[in-house]
Amino acid sequence: MLVSILHRATGDGMALVGLGVFLWWLGALASGPEAYETFLWAATSPVGYVVMIGLTWAFFTHMMSGLRHFVLDIGAGYELDTNKMWSMLSPIIAAILTVSVWTYVLLRDGGLG
Amino acid sequence: MGGGTSIGRVRGLGSAHDGAHHWLKHRLTAISNLILMSWFIVSLLLLGDYSYESVTAWMSQPISAVAMMLLSVSLFWHAQMGLTVLIEDYIHNSGSKFGLLTLLNLAAVGGAVFAIFSVATLAFGANA
Repeated sequence: MLVSILHRATGDGMALVGLGVFLWWLGALASGPEAYETFLWAATSPVGYVVMIGLTWAFFTHMMSGLRHFVLDIGAGYELDTNKMWSMLSPIIAAILTVSVWTYVLLRDGGLG
Repeated sequence: MGGGTSIGRVRGLGSAHDGAHHWLKHRLTAISNLILMSWFIVSLLLLGDYSYESVTAWMSQPISAVAMMLLSVSLFWHAQMGLTVLIEDYIHNSGSKFGLLTLLNLAAVGGAVFAIFSVATLAFGANA
C-alpha cells in the first residue's frame, strides 16, 4: 500500500519538480555562464540542497518500486512473504542509495559548488 | 451518459481501447529511463566538477549530447504518461480533464523540445 502510494507520489513529484530543475539546468547551460551561475547559486543554497537531495531520494524510491513492478509484471513475487519482503526492502534500499550518493558527493567534493 | 434508457446509462463506459498500448509504452520508457538515468547519474558523479566549463565540455561530446537528448525524450514521455493517469484517476469533470490533459501534452512536448534545443546549442557550440 505504502509502496504504491510512494511510487505515484515520487513519480508525479519528479515529473513536476524534477523536470523543472532539469530544464532550468539545461536552459542555464545553453544561455551562458551568468545564467549557469544563477542556477548554481540556487542549487547550492540550503533550499537547493533540500530539493536536490529530495529529488535523488524520489528517483531511487521510484526506481526501486519500478523494478519491483517489473518483477510483478512478469508474474513473479506474488507469494505473501516474498511480496511483503520486497515492498519493505524497496524503500530501504532507495534510502541507502540516496545516502550513499550524497555522502560521496559531500565528502569528495564538499558539495555541488 | 443519458439517464433515461438502460442502454443509455452504460453507453460509453467501456474500455478506452488504448489501455494496453499505454501500459506497454509506460514500461518501455521506464526501461529507457533506467538505462539513461543510470548513465546520467554515474556520469555526473564521475565528472565531479560542476563548473560551467566542465559541464559544457562534457555535454558537448557526441555521446553525451545524444544520450542527453534521448534521456529528455524518455523522461518527458514517461512523465506525460504518469501525469495522464494521475489526471484520469482524480479529475472526473470532463471539461477540467480535457483542459488539464491538453495543457499536460503541450507542456510535455514543449519541455522535451526545450531540453533537446539546449543540448544541441552546447553540442554545436553556438555559445563558443
